[in-house]
Amino acid sequence: MSRILIVEDDKKLREELGIFLKKNGYEIEILEKFEDTINDILKTKTDLILLDINLPNLDGEYICKELRKVSNVPVIIITSRESEIDEIISLNYGADQYVTKPFNIHILLAKIASLLRRTKDLSYVQDKIDCKEFILNISQSKIEKDDIQIELTKNELKILHFLVLNRGRIVSRDKIMSYLWDSESFVDENTLSVNIKRLRDKMEEINLKSLIETKRGQGYILK
Amino acid sequence: MNFLNFLKEKVSYLLSIIFLQITIAIFLMPYNVNKVIIMYIIFVPIIITIIMIFLEYKKKKSFYDNVDAKLNELDEKYLLSEVIDNTNFIEAEKLEEYVRDLGRSMIENVNKYKFSQKEYKEYIEMWIHEIKIPISVVKLIIENNRNEVTKSIEEEIDKIENFIEQALFYARSSNVEKDYSIKKSTLKDIVNESIKRNKNILIQSDININVHDLDNIVYTDSKWIIFILNQIIQNCIKYSKDINKQIEIYSKEFNQRIELYIIDNGIGIDSSDLPRVFDKGFTGKNGRIISKKSTGIGLYLCKKLCDKLGMGIEITSKINETTCAILKFPKGTHLSF
Repeated sequence: MSRILIVEDDKKLREELGIFLKKNGYEIEILEKFEDTINDILKTKTDLILLDINLPNLDGEYICKELRKVSNVPVIIITSRESEIDEIISLNYGADQYVTKPFNIHILLAKIASLLRRTKDLSYVQDKIDCKEFILNISQSKIEKDDIQIELTKNELKILHFLVLNRGRIVSRDKIMSYLWDSESFVDENTLSVNIKRLRDKMEEINLKSLIETKRGQGYILK
Repeated sequence: MNFLNFLKEKVSYLLSIIFLQITIAIFLMPYNVNKVIIMYIIFVPIIITIIMIFLEYKKKKSFYDNVDAKLNELDEKYLLSEVIDNTNFIEAEKLEEYVRDLGRSMIENVNKYKFSQKEYKEYIEMWIHEIKIPISVVKLIIENNRNEVTKSIEEEIDKIENFIEQALFYARSSNVEKDYSIKKSTLKDIVNESIKRNKNILIQSDININVHDLDNIVYTDSKWIIFILNQIIQNCIKYSKDINKQIEIYSKEFNQRIELYIIDNGIGIDSSDLPRVFDKGFTGKNGRIISKKSTGIGLYLCKKLCDKLGMGIEITSKINETTCAILKFPKGTHLSF
């Protein structure tokens, strides 16, 4: 499990961010004092740092620069400044990514995942996901079971992948839509229904139709 | 200034000279003075006076013509005092002095307002910067506590974010400095980003999104365009019909420009309202009937920002059928600013 250090001076923000990241499967460390920030950061063992630019006593950009002298830990800068200059400065000081408040939380999550994947060489998004009953081949957009291979469309793949990631939990239609929209498939209610129906039909070909269950008024669940 | 007008001003002076010389001549009459001398006494001073008047006219004329010409050339007319010359008579010197004082006080005044506007803009930007923190916190709380209540709060937070963004761009649009940065971007990225930003309300309103042919590259400040698109898309949502809602977005390439079309199938805009949609505070029939929330700021800002970016914006509509907003990007590197 990857460990993320949150360096943010707004108490509530860092706490809520912590809760959110914990929910999404990360271990969290939160810096509470900002007197000896750089040393405090270095003392923690962490895989990634979320760093606010405006900290008491010190500038996040400066911290980033100092940190880079001794450590290669990935850093995502969080800021409410929007200007290009700030972005360029932060990236010059060695930050790996840059998000502006109020951030889209799912984009932040995606950035964290991709940074960790790159630096730790962990396959967070594997080419293939083994789901026991079947194998989801993401790079080829296929479901594989034994010798049978079924092609999935772009949307079907995304929906199934999302269900797989949230396996055992009820996923609302809104959440699926939201996920699809974030990945730039702007589907409407009808298209989603059609996509899910087709996905089920394809699952039926390998006798797995019952795997995706409809929870009336709540959404879908991959059992 | 023409000669006749100038002469009118000098006529009393001339008449008094004539009167004086004739009086002298009349007094001299009884003393048997030579007629030639009398004629001389009468006419020579008069002629000399006329020549003097004419020379004065020439001098003043050349001065005022010069001032006129310079005034015409100057963009900022209050800088006149810096370019006045040929001040070789007393009124001109005085005039130059006055103009210089006026100009100075004017510049001081303008600077005062420039400064206070800059301060205000800086305050707004700082305020926006500050308010983003509590908004981030609220959004995280919502994310961590997903239910019907927080979902409804999220919609309102999205609205607040939009209003804040509007305020930010309002401050930017009325700023005299150019604070945008032109970069190469594809329309696809820009459009996708602005759709994603309005994701919640678009999904909520059950609007069908149809984006295609967006591979054109434009040179612009994408943040500004995303803001403009946000305003347009929010209008599409606000003035949509009840069923089969649709927004179509695509681009087309022309010789000199690239046009981005945002077409909805909403209630449309009355043709008598169309020419005024970019006016500040104009809400029109739609604003009065459909939504009391129209502020008449959104499109006004769009137009202003487009002007600053050297772009065109146009809105066409068929009442009850469709509204089409067109953004026109200048092509290539020949930018018009």
